[in-house]
This record gives sequence, C-alpha cells and structure tokens, in this order.
Amino acid sequence: MRKLLAGILAILMVLSLCSFAAAEEPIVVTVFRGDPGDQPTSDNRIYKLIEETFGIKFEIEFLAGDLDETLGTKIAGEDYPDLFDGGNSAEKLINAGALIDLMPYISEEKTPNLYAHIQPILTQILNEDGQLFIIPNYGRNYNAQVQNYCNGPAFFIQKQVLAWDNYPQIKTLDQYFDLLERYIAANPTNADGVPYTGFAILCEGWRHFCLINPVQHLMGQPNEGEVYINRETYEVETFIDKDYARPYYAKLNEMFNKGLISRDTFVMNYDQYIAAISSGTVLGMFDQTWDFGSATAALETAGMYENTYIALPLVYDEHYGFGVISEQYLNGAVPNKDRGFGISVNCEYPERMVALFEALLSDEWQKILQWGIEGEDYYVEGGRMLMTSEQYHNRQDATWKRANTAVTIWESAPKKQGTMDDGNVWDPSLQPENYFALMSEYDQAFLAAYGYKVPADFFNAPCEIAPWGEAWQIDKAPIQDDYDDFLAIQDEWLPKIIMAADEDEFDELWAEFVELITPSAEIYADFMQVEVLKLVEQTLN
Amino acid sequence: MTGSAGHNVPAIKVKKKGFFRTLWGQKQLMLMSVPMLLYVFLFNYYPMWGWIASFEDYKPKDGPLGSKWVGLQHFEWLFGRSEFLEGIRNTLAMSLINLVFGTLASILLAILLNEVRSKLFKRTVQTVTYLPHFLSMVIVVGMAQNIFASTGPVNQLIKALGGQEIFWLGEEKLFWWLVGVINIWKEVGWNSIIYISTMTSIDPTLYEAASIDGAGRFQRIMNVTLPGIKSTFMVLLIMNIGHLMEAGFEIQYLMGNSQVEHYSRTIDVFVLEYGISNNNFGRATAAGMFKSIVAIILLFSANWVAKKLDEDTLI
Repeated sequence: MRKLLAGILAILMVLSLCSFAAAEEPIVVTVFRGDPGDQPTSDNRIYKLIEETFGIKFEIEFLAGDLDETLGTKIAGEDYPDLFDGGNSAEKLINAGALIDLMPYISEEKTPNLYAHIQPILTQILNEDGQLFIIPNYGRNYNAQVQNYCNGPAFFIQKQVLAWDNYPQIKTLDQYFDLLERYIAANPTNADGVPYTGFAILCEGWRHFCLINPVQHLMGQPNEGEVYINRETYEVETFIDKDYARPYYAKLNEMFNKGLISRDTFVMNYDQYIAAISSGTVLGMFDQTWDFGSATAALETAGMYENTYIALPLVYDEHYGFGVISEQYLNGAVPNKDRGFGISVNCEYPERMVALFEALLSDEWQKILQWGIEGEDYYVEGGRMLMTSEQYHNRQDATWKRANTAVTIWESAPKKQGTMDDGNVWDPSLQPENYFALMSEYDQAFLAAYGYKVPADFFNAPCEIAPWGEAWQIDKAPIQDDYDDFLAIQDEWLPKIIMAADEDEFDELWAEFVELITPSAEIYADFMQVEVLKLVEQTLN
Repeated sequence: MTGSAGHNVPAIKVKKKGFFRTLWGQKQLMLMSVPMLLYVFLFNYYPMWGWIASFEDYKPKDGPLGSKWVGLQHFEWLFGRSEFLEGIRNTLAMSLINLVFGTLASILLAILLNEVRSKLFKRTVQTVTYLPHFLSMVIVVGMAQNIFASTGPVNQLIKALGGQEIFWLGEEKLFWWLVGVINIWKEVGWNSIIYISTMTSIDPTLYEAASIDGAGRFQRIMNVTLPGIKSTFMVLLIMNIGHLMEAGFEIQYLMGNSQVEHYSRTIDVFVLEYGISNNNFGRATAAGMFKSIVAIILLFSANWVAKKLDEDTLI
C-alpha cells in the first residue's frame, strides 16, 4: 500500500513537474527597439532574474539608421520580432497589421494589473474599432504626478552662460539671444581654445522638430506638433506659414548673420549634433530634453556640469505685437498613445508575453525594474526608499546600467509612474530625497542662486491635458504624401531663410516659402481639424 | 569548319543526335551547371514575380495575389513628381561624371604607373591608391564631411589663400562634383588595376620596334599603350553603361541633407524615402522596375553601338 502511494506520488510529482516545465519552458523572445541603444551585458543581473523567474530570455535588436526605412524594410519582409517597439513611427506597424490586438488578452480576472493600468486611460488609447495594439510605455500616472524637470521641448542654455551673467531671469526670445550674443562676444572660445557655437539647430530626419516646432511654444502653447489649436473653439491651423512664425525665423536670420549660428548646423546629422553638444561648445538650442540625454550623460560623466543645460520656457516679447504671452510648455500627463511594445503577429507566445507584462507591472517587479534590488541598489529607512550617492549615480551611468538594469525592456513596457501607494515615487530620480541630496554640487548651487528647488521651477505648472490629448499623436497616414510634402518644404526652405544674406532676401524667401507651403499646409490643417474634433467628441462623451 | 568537312568527306554519314541524347552525353556538364541555373533562377528571375506589386496597392499581409490592383497608378504618380524626375537626372548625371572622370583618372594612373621603372615605387603607389577601395562609405563620407566642413581644412586653405569660405556640403550645385571627387579618390587605384594588367600583357617588342622607329615616350604611349588597352576599355565601357542607373546609394544617402536634396536624391534614395519609408511598396517596386528596364535598354544599345563600330562586344 505504502509502495503504491509512493508510486502514485512519484508519478504525480513527475506529472506536475512536466506541466510546470511546460508552462515555464524556456524561450528566447526577439525584441526590436525603434531607437539606438546599448546591448545589455550577458551576465546582466536583472535579465538573469527575469530568465530564472519566467524562463524568458531576450534577444534585442536596436535601431541602426533611419527608423521609417528600417520599419518599412521589416514590414516588406514581414520580418517581425516578438516584441516590436516601432518608436516614433509605430502607427506604421499597426497600419501594416504587424501587431496583434491586446484587448482579448486583458481582463479583470486574468490580468488584474494590466486591467487596472489601462482602465482609466481607455478612451484615450483605444482606436475607433475598440482595439489596443500597444499599451503606452509612458504617461500612465498612479497617484500624484511628480515633475522635477522639463523632459519635453524647451529652449536650452548652458548653465555657465546664466552663471556668467549673474543668474538673470530669461523669459523671452530677445533676452535669450541677447544673452548668448553678449556671452560669445566676451568668451569666443572655451578654455581649450575651441570656438563656441551660439545656437545649434538639428534638422535631420524626424528630429527636425528642433527646426520647425518652436513657434507654437513662443505663442504660449504646449507641444501639439505642427499645428496651433485654439483651446476654446478647437480651431486648428498650421503655424509655420502664419505671420506669427516669421519673427522667430527673422531672429534666427539675424543671429546667423551675426555668426551665432553656423551653416554646418543645417547639414549636420544626429550623431554629429550629439558629439557637438557632448563637447560642451554648444551654448544653446531648441530641443527636447530626452533627445540629447546621451550628451547630458556624457557631460555629467566628464564632470562638466557648467556645460550642461537648463531648460527655459521662452515666449515672444511684447514688442512683436502678439500681446503678453504666458508660457505653457509643460502639459498634463498624457498617455503616450501607440508608443511602446506591441506583440507581433509572428510571436508564437502572445499569452506568455501578456503574462510577462502583467507580472512586470506588479509592485514587486516595478520596484525591481525602476529601483533595483533592495539592499543592493537602494535601502529603506522609515518607509522611505533611499539611495546612497554611489547607488544613485550608478543608475545614471550607462556602463553600469548595461550590466545591472533591464532598462531596454523597462522603457518600452507598460510601467507605473507617479507615486506608490505608500508615498514613495516610482522613478528613483524623482524621489525628492534623492533628487535634492544627490544632485551635483554645481547644480545645487546653481538652483540655489535662483532660489529654486528643482529645474521645473523655471516653468509654469503643467496645464490640464486638452480633450484631444497632444495633437502630434494623430496618425497622418491617410494624407501621408501631403504631410511629407508639408515637412519637406519646411526642411528645405527654413534653413535657406535663416541663411538669407539680408532683410530683403529674407522677405523674398519668406514670401516664396509661404506660397509654396500653403497647398499642403491647408490639406494637413483640414485633416487635423477633422481628427481633433473627432477626438474631442470621443473624450467629452 | 563543318561546311568544308562535310564537303570533303561525303562518305561518312553524320548521325543526327536527338536533343536528349546530347543532353545525356553532356550529363556531367549539365549537372555542374545546375547550381548556377538554380542560383540565377532563385535570385534573379524568381524575384521578378514581385514586380507585380508595382501594379498593386501592395499590403504585406495580403500578399501579391490578395492586394488591390491599381493598374498604372504608381507610374502616373512617379512621373508626376518632380522628385522622381530629379532622381533620374541626378542618377544619370552622377553616373556619367563617375564614368567619364573615373575612367579617365584610372587610365591616366595606369599609364603613369606603367611608365615608372622602379618596381618598389610602382607597388607602393599602387597599394596606396587602391586601399581606399576597402573603406566603408560611411567612413569615407565621415572624413569628407570633416574635410569639407565650413571650418574644415579645405575652407581653411581657401581662406588662407584669401578666398571666400565655400559651403561645400550645403550647396546643391556642388553636390554632383563632390560625389565625383570622393568616388574617384576611393576607386581610382582599384579601377586602374585592370588597365595596368592589360598593359603588362602588351608585347614588349612593340615598344622596342616603336623606339627603333624613333618614337618618343609620349608617342609610344599614344601608339602602343592606348591601342593595347582599347578592347579592355570597350568591354568595361559597355559593362559600365549597363550600370549607369546605379549611381550608388550610400554616398548620396549619407551626404545628402535637406539643403541639397534636389541634387542628391538618386532613384535608389527616392525609392527608400518615398516608397519603403511610407509603407508604399507598390510605388517602390514601380520605381525600381523602371530603373531596371532603363538599365537593360542602355546595356543593349551600348552593345549595339559597339557592334556597329566593329569593336569587341560583350553580348
């Protein structure tokens, strides 16, 4: 009898082992990321932990070259990885039918974390057919949103320039360029004799927003892409061909002729731009903080804190005749619609992928992904999650991150942002104790000189998110050719206009530009008008 | 040969072999040619099936048979776009610049090297000039961008000589020539190898005879060396004309920017920007197909002209 029992038990054990092994059968998941990045090391501790827990190993491919072209090639060959992050052009994947609809996999019973995650933002992220292909990688805040710095668009200036002028308040376009002009007149080169560039403009590929986007902000609007939207009447118009765009480019033209802007900036690619910024010789630019993060990291690693940048929310001066404009660079949290990981139709284990996202979205795993392992990467004191200086700076160090974080997966996967239920902040760099205590001494002194606590104090508080979200998220595929023309004309003409030899030539080129761009601008504005009204109706109902 | 043989020996009956008999008789040869035939079929003929996409609103998920038929719509669109027509012009212009000046430069280099008597010097120069061929275009363009930047050495030299700074990388009229210069720098040594080897195979007695007749060095080059490489030159010319539609892709793609795009965009770059990037594969295929057909026409016309001139032909 005992033998029989033992036999049955043994068989049961083998069976349960088998079924367990089947569920956690080790698999290799192919991943594509729509931006360049660093491969994790083979002995990365967090990936090892994921592999041990879920039996999932990642094989990651990063973008090399142009995003649209890479995606086009992948779509043409139906060469899809399992987890597919199409970066800034993920609509292409959705339109090509490369991704599976996630809604059938998400339910309150089976995936409570994901369900709770998307429920509050559902109207904003579902498409017209009620499908969801990508769970937004950013912009889903839990509890209170914490904003210590501007991660989006702004005019940037090297901290040393402000320090040199005794920490002035720079609020308008004229003040900004006046300061740059005075600084470069007094300091034409850095300590090594390398000449300073006053203002750089990145014009390459989809990053041309540095060239074509600033006007809306100067007029007091948060980032809507290439349109200006009246917040009361929901009227949409393109701004680049309007009279209120002209003074900005006239100012750039003036600065070009004064030598603050180099010709080379218009033929520079992204790598050259990052190299220039990393060298510490570019005094200012319009950009978005995340777009030159690698350069900031390089400057900080080199200890060149005075060459790092502070974001400024500039507006037009009153004398331009647009009234007193109040800046509104910071926008409310908006789910990053259609950005992040989708599961491709070629993926053999969609359930396991959803289950992985579900598990990674648990508080326990979110802490591991964002903070690391307790005792190794952070410590807890009186309920507060804290880091030593070394632990904190490790997390900014690109080399350390390759071996000790799963940042590549984390960035594209759905994640918790904002604050935890116990009051700690999900992002360790936003946790107040860490942010203040572990900031570099230079930055502490810099902010103290202004009487500020965080760089975001330079900005007005975020406004409430508009009913259409942020208009740049609208998919332009139905008018792709006209939209491409609209952008191509700007790419070609704005640099010519900025490089005009004198005012007469400027006027001539500007008139020609407006005439050329009007047809495609009108088609684009009409299309956006319809889409914005659609979204407004969807949200308000 | 067959005519005279048949005439002289009428007694022997030539048995006409059947096709399959011949085939069987050559079975080893046939077997050896199978991999090549398979290769050509798989990689050259089979993909042509994809040309069908140029008449369709091609969607990868629907495949070539399921996609919507749109007839000549893509071709109409292409020939209505100034960018595509510019692409054809730029492709041909840069190809021609490359062909004419590239060939002249490599023949010149070959002649100069051929006249050099010091073996060591000849070898050194040859190696140095063909090494850039092995550099990736990315590296070459990176170097060129530094050299021709507004603060780069070329502009510094111009300024030191009292000239005006030139915006090399952003001046559209200069783009073709810049590409030409870079291409020649990169390929001149490599392309001259074939001419040098042809020159070494010229019978030395011809040179001796020419010297005895009182020909100087320049006359020897004109009357012995150049005629000696004529057939090589013709074969290469015909082959290169077949490649006229291939002005290259990398260099224009890497050096191009919004300021020069009307002069930098070749058909290949156009296909990428206006077709593949927009998921408009039908349009991309149409442009590629047009390019292939023009290339075939060019190749056959060059061959025909060469035949008329009674020169060596390729086909």
